[in-house]
This record gives sequence, C-alpha cells and structure tokens, in this order.
Amino acid sequence: MSNVMLKIENVTLKFGGVVAITNISFDVVKGEICAVIGPNGAGKSSMLNVINGVYLPQEGVITYNGKNITRIAPRNAAIAGMARTFQNIALFQGMTVLENIMTGRNLKMKSTWLEQGLNIGRARTEERENRIAVEKVIKFLQLEQIRKTPVAKLPYGLQKRVELARALVAEPEILLLDEPLAGMNLEEKQDMSCFILEVNKEYGLTTVLIEHDMGVVMDISDHVVVLDYGKKIGDGTPSEILKNQEVIDAYLGVSH
Amino acid sequence: MGFDWVYLIEVLVGGLMSGVMYSLVAIGFVLIYKSSGIFNFAQGTMLLFASLTLVKMTENNVDFWTALAVAMGIMVVFGILTERFVIRPLANQDLLALFMATVGLATFQEGFSQFMWDSDIHGLQLSKFLNLSLLEPVPIFVADHIAWLDILLPKFDIFASIVAGTMIVVLAFFFQKTRTGLSLRAVSDDHMAAMAVGIPLQKVWAIVWAVTGVIALVAGLLWAERISVSFTLIEAVMKALPVILIGGLTSIPGAIVGGLVIGVGEKLGEIYLAEHLGGQGVELWFAYFIALMFLVFRPAGMFGEKNIERV
Amino acid sequence: MIYRETGRFITNYLSDRQIFPLRFDKFAISVILLGMLLWFPTLSEYWLSAHIIPILAVGLATLGLNILTGLTGQLSLGTAGFMCVGAFATYNLMLRMPDWIMSLPFAIIISGVFAGILGVIFGLPSIRIKGFYLLVSTLAAQYFVWWFFNTYTYFLNYTPSGVVAIPPRFYDYFGLGELLGVNMADYPARFVLAFIICVAMTYFAKNLLRSNTGRNFMSVRDRDIAAGVIGIPVVKTKMLAFFISCFYCGVAGALYCFCYIGNVDLMIFEVDRSFTILFMLIIGGLGSISGSWLGAIFVYEFPIVFTAAGDYLFGGAFDTAIVENVSNMIYGIFIIALLIREPGGFAALWANTKQKLRMWPYPH
Repeated sequence: MSNVMLKIENVTLKFGGVVAITNISFDVVKGEICAVIGPNGAGKSSMLNVINGVYLPQEGVITYNGKNITRIAPRNAAIAGMARTFQNIALFQGMTVLENIMTGRNLKMKSTWLEQGLNIGRARTEERENRIAVEKVIKFLQLEQIRKTPVAKLPYGLQKRVELARALVAEPEILLLDEPLAGMNLEEKQDMSCFILEVNKEYGLTTVLIEHDMGVVMDISDHVVVLDYGKKIGDGTPSEILKNQEVIDAYLGVSH
Repeated sequence: MGFDWVYLIEVLVGGLMSGVMYSLVAIGFVLIYKSSGIFNFAQGTMLLFASLTLVKMTENNVDFWTALAVAMGIMVVFGILTERFVIRPLANQDLLALFMATVGLATFQEGFSQFMWDSDIHGLQLSKFLNLSLLEPVPIFVADHIAWLDILLPKFDIFASIVAGTMIVVLAFFFQKTRTGLSLRAVSDDHMAAMAVGIPLQKVWAIVWAVTGVIALVAGLLWAERISVSFTLIEAVMKALPVILIGGLTSIPGAIVGGLVIGVGEKLGEIYLAEHLGGQGVELWFAYFIALMFLVFRPAGMFGEKNIERV
Repeated sequence: MIYRETGRFITNYLSDRQIFPLRFDKFAISVILLGMLLWFPTLSEYWLSAHIIPILAVGLATLGLNILTGLTGQLSLGTAGFMCVGAFATYNLMLRMPDWIMSLPFAIIISGVFAGILGVIFGLPSIRIKGFYLLVSTLAAQYFVWWFFNTYTYFLNYTPSGVVAIPPRFYDYFGLGELLGVNMADYPARFVLAFIICVAMTYFAKNLLRSNTGRNFMSVRDRDIAAGVIGIPVVKTKMLAFFISCFYCGVAGALYCFCYIGNVDLMIFEVDRSFTILFMLIIGGLGSISGSWLGAIFVYEFPIVFTAAGDYLFGGAFDTAIVENVSNMIYGIFIIALLIREPGGFAALWANTKQKLRMWPYPH
C-alpha cells in the first residue's frame, strides 16, 4: 500500500492515570481528506498532537512516508513536512497578519542573523522571495485587506484563516487541522471548507482534520475516523459511517 | 583540628532563624500571587514604608501600641487604594504588565516613603516597647543569647520565629477554614470563574492587599530590629526572591521551606565557601545560585503549581 | 505640500520593507543624523558630557534590554551586570594587549562578545525556567558579576580605591588622533565614537526586528510551544536573544565608562542601574526601537530638569535626596499610568499623536 502516507498503529496515550486514547489504528492515504470526528473528550486533539510529536504515546507506532516518527520532536515533524493549526488559536498576538504568516516560512530562510541585521545579500533576497510565496497564499485565502493588521484585533473567524495561511505557506506535505471551522458562522464555514477543498485539489495536500460539523465532514472528506472515549468506533467513507450503529449511538448518547 | 560541630550547628541554627525571617517576607509575595497571579514587586517597599511610618511615630513619642495600630490602619488603607487604582484598571492585561505595574508601584513607594519621612537610618528597638524578658535591651553579644546544649541562640531570633510561626498558622487557618479564605483560593485559580459564581473579586483583592500590607508591617518590624529601617531593607527583601522561587510562587509551605533552605544555604556558603572563592559577599549571589539549581530541576518551584500549557 | 504620505505607490516588496518609506522622512533622518554628527562635537563640554553622551550609553543599554525582554519576552534584571562585563573587559583588553593590536573600538566589540557569551551562560536556565522564575537567573548574573569584580581586584589593576581613571593613551586609535590633529581623549571625539556605534547598532536592531530572526524572537515571546511546532528553533532563538542583548549591554557599559564617565568603577553597575534601564524600557515602550531611545531620554533627563526647575523656581530648594525621591515617584506614576492607558509607552503615544495629526481636524 505504497500510497499510505500516514500509518497509525495501536497508539495509546495516557496522562498519568487518565487514558486519552487507546489502541487506535488507521491509515491516511496520500492526497485524501481524512476527518477525525467524535463527541467532546473523545481524544481527537490528543490524537493529532501525538501525530506531530507534541505528545509522546506510551504505546504504538506512527509511520510517515515509511519513516517511524512515533517519538519525533514537533520541530522535526515540521521539517518533515507536517503543518498544523490549533484548537485554541496559536497565533502570535504581538505581530501583524503578514508577520504571522511569514513565520510559517521560517524553515525556508537560510540567512544568518548577522546578514539579517545588516540587511545585506541573502537576507534581502530571501525576505523578498518568501514574501512572494506568502502573498500567493494571502491572495488565495483573501487576506489582502488585513495584511498589516495586528492579529489581536481580528475577529475569531479571520484569525483561524490566518492560522491556516501560516500552515499553508510552509508548503507542507500533510496538513493537520484542529477544528478549523470552530466558532464560525455559516458563511465563514462555507468559505473555509472551500479553501480546504481547493488546497487539497490544487496542491494535492493530504489533510487530516478534526471537525464537529457533520454536514461539512460529510461534504468534504474522503475518509472518516470516529473516536469515542478514546477508542476507535468507526473507520470508512462518509456514507459507511453514517450507517454505523455504534457511531449513531455515540452521538445520540446511548449509554455504554 | 577536628571539625567544629558545635560551630556548624550554630551556623545551621542561625541560618534557620534567618530563614524564618525570609519566609515571612516571602509569604506576603505568595499571598498576592496565590490570589491574583500578580508577582508583587512592591512587597519590599511596602515593608519599608510600613516600618518607616511606625518608627517615625515612635520617635515622636507616640505610644508603641497606638503607633502599631495606626500603622496597620495605614497599610490596610494603602492596600485598598493599590487595588483600586493600580490593580483594577489593569485587570484585563497580561501578567507581565501587572508585574511591571508593581515595579512602578515599588519605585513610587520607595520615593514616597523617603520623601514623606526621610532617608536616614532608624534603629528600632522592639524591646523598648514589649516587656518580654526575651528581649532585654542588651548589645548583641552573649548576654542576649540563650544557651542550649552549648549552642548560643540569639534571643531575638527565637522571638521572630515565634511571631512568624504564629502568623503562618493564622494564615493557614484563614485559607483553609474560613469562607473568605475559600474565596481567595477560588479567585487565585481562575478569577473569571470566581466572578461567574458571584465572588466579589474587588473585595477579595482588597482584602488580600490589606492583609499583605499587615504582613509587610510585621515582617518589616522584625527585620528592622535586625538591620534598622533604611533603604537597605529593600535589599534584604531582594533576597526573599530566591526564597519564593524555590518554594514555588503559589505555596505558603513552600515559602517556609524555601526560606529555611536559603537561610541555611547562605550561611554555609558564606562561611565555608568564602575561603575557597576568596572573598566575602559570596552570600550575595549564593542565594540566587541555590535557587537557580532548584529551579532547573523543578521549574515551578518545589511546591509550586506547574502551569500546564494547552496547545 | 512637502510632507505628503499619500500618492506614493509601492511597486515591489523590497520597497514595502523600507524603514523610512517617505522620501521626505529619508531625507530628514539623514540630515538630522549628519547634523548631529557634525554639530554636536562643536557644542560645549557640558552638553556633551552631561547630556548627550550618557544618553547614548544608557539608550544603547535600553535597546539591549529591549531585545531580550521586549522582543523575546525573557525578563531580565541583570542588565547592569552585563554592562559591567563590557566595561571591565574593554579596560583589561586595552591595558594588557599590546598597543599595536588593540584599539578602543576593537576592544569594545570584543568585550561585547564576552558579555554576550556570559549572557548565553546565564540564559541557559531559560530553557527550563519560564516567566517570573527566570528573574533568578539574571539577578544571579547581576550579583555574581559584581561580586566577581569586587573580589578579584586584578581586573581593576589592583587599584586600592576601586575606581580606575582611564588613561588618555587608550583613546589613541593607532595614531589617528595625531593624524587628524585632534585630541581623541576629549569629549567631542568620544562623542563621535559613541554616536557612530549607537547609530550602527540601532540600525542593526531595527533590521533584526523586521527580519526572520526578529519574528522568531517575537514568536518565542508570544507562544513558544506553537513556535516550536511550526519549526522555529526555540532554544537557539532564546540563546541568540541573550547573546545579542548582552552584547548590546556590554558595549553600552563600555561606552558608559569610556565615553561618558572616564572611570571604570564598580559602583556604576549596581542593581539599581538595572532597574533604571528597565524603567527606560517600559516607559519608552516594550518592543519599540524608537521607544527605547525616548524612554532613555526621559528617565535620564527628568531628574536634571526637575533639579533645574527647583533651582530656577525655588532657588535651589531641591536637594539630591528630594530629587531622587520625587523622580522615583514620577517614574512609578508614569509606569503605572502608561500601563493603564497606553501599554506601548511613549513610542505608542507618539504613533497615536501622528495618527491624530493625520486625521486633524477630524476626530477619526
């Protein structure tokens, strides 16, 4: 199965006595949009955090493009091509939109601090080239008007879009999105879903996203994984999941 | 020459005693941090202001107990005013800003204290006012030590320890057993949530600052006896910083333990290390190094609450 | 209209990045800086020695602290300690290195590097320790450095008084003085040295702020876990911040002794110096380059102006104690008031004023 990009096998994560996720296994195929859903507290964010190394699992193996990345440090995950957004927006509040998105390019910048301080040679050209790349994404996500606005002044929905931009400019191979549509109104959700779909189609970007809005999930994802109380209770295409009785029970709250 | 055990024990005990004094200052810091997350840099200057006020009054022949009461009253008022004019307007800013505000407050207080009263050194002899045999006014040599197993314990330090100990017990009781104490703890955990359940935030903070003012007064008086009331009082308080940081900013027992660790460590360092490192004044930075060592292993202090950052 | 902000269109990204986008601004700044360079040395010794040169020195130190605390969010109270290292290192290099290798500007830069390295050492704990707890490390540096130079008097050339006057021969830059017919140990020459260094380092800092490194600093300040996740090397960034910041402070310390006071004296570098610089930083505005200079000017000049006012209005009614106390009260009030009303300090006040002027006479 050479086009499996991300393989998660029997991953268990505990925080002291609390078990966040138990024995989770699923595959993410290259180029697909895989949605991870489940009731609150099911362990979805933990799962994402394990994938990019923010948490280290007690058991299990995570393979990315054939490499074992179970115990990878988050920075190395970024270098390996993983980009992500966060549930509670993790933008840098002291900077503008443009500056925030430029930080997403930090791995592409090779000039030293000395060159940057003197504003010579490599530093100048790099700043310009990376700005060009960033502007492409700004245009794509329609953020031109607010480039120079401090992110702290932006409404929640726009901040989420800026966070997506920051993840995209890193030119990742896989995108991990933690509730990218949370707190948005209908219009914003439509815009955001379109962006995610377009990014997937145009750049072939594999996407793993956590989301609560079932309508969106059914519309845009190719593959759905359902978690409940830290265990996987469903794994398949959207239509398969819709018919899965366990999933229905979990969402409707049948006691188990 | 055999190892002078008696001397060592004296040093240790001396260190413990001075540790207690540090703890008293540290507790003031912890109280405020515990209830509002603010690192109150002005704690030292509050000490100075409180004791300076009292000393000035007694020098003008005001009766000690009246002066004490007045000073306490002033500190309470000061606490309330601080909360009203410094803390409340900044409530929605981040903690660094609030810390800076206390730095500003400290600077203001330093200038104000010395402006109102003056910058001289004032000796304070508590023994003049308190008729305890423990405190007969005698120069600080053998005569006012109590001999116990061949070890000389300074009488004053014993007194200070008793006072400090009592304060700690009272505070512990206050926090654990009273309703106000419970409100304080709620506020320190999450002041938004506390407001949501109806706890009167402003009142609680006002109480905290007032209480801290009173603690500052007591600590200031004890310290003043030792090193007189002057600007250098603030320096002594700078040493309380490593104490709090070792013990953890949120823990009163931590402040006590931290105080003892620093008190002892400092003395040991001064006496035994100074020969090797060739100079005195080692105790100046030694306290900070001890704290640094502790913090590297326990970044939130020994008993402090770890700040869990969610991503 | 000479001063016009509208009607200019930016056609490429490089011009979007300029420090002074308006042609008039560029022109004005060059004129002002050139003017200072040419005119100030002709001023009286009083103006140079009591106002201009000391402000250059403390302003540079404030800039240094700004890089560490304002940009990278690492709280520091050890500024004076690092300044001390810079001053003492410069003195010892000049004293002990043969004249044909070492001249003052080189010595100052090398001492800055020493200070920077010390900064990294005392900055290592910041890997584990965060927030207020980090104060321990920089205060440890402050007290340790002070004790070190107090104890090992070798570094002061065993001078019994503890204060060393800097010999005029240190100011001889490989005979440049003789060449120009100027006495390099005089204030005008000292001013030129300090001025050039300060302008260069301010330019460097401004560039840094707008660059990738600057953004790395600010990311670490704002949210270091997220910074790590997007690929920023957090530890390296912190260490770099400590290095650069302490380099600046070291150079500032050297300037303070060599260009301003003319002595090397441990008393200059006590804890309250660190606090003063912190005040300059807060009042001027954290994270703002121009703010550091504004804050330095204000905090330095206030006691002087106040005393002068006292002399003028009340015939010398204000003695040093009163001046110091009132100054402290004013600093305290300013800090609190600024934090409440305008956390960005004087720099933000200035930016707001400019904005109001743009809109005038309309309110918004």
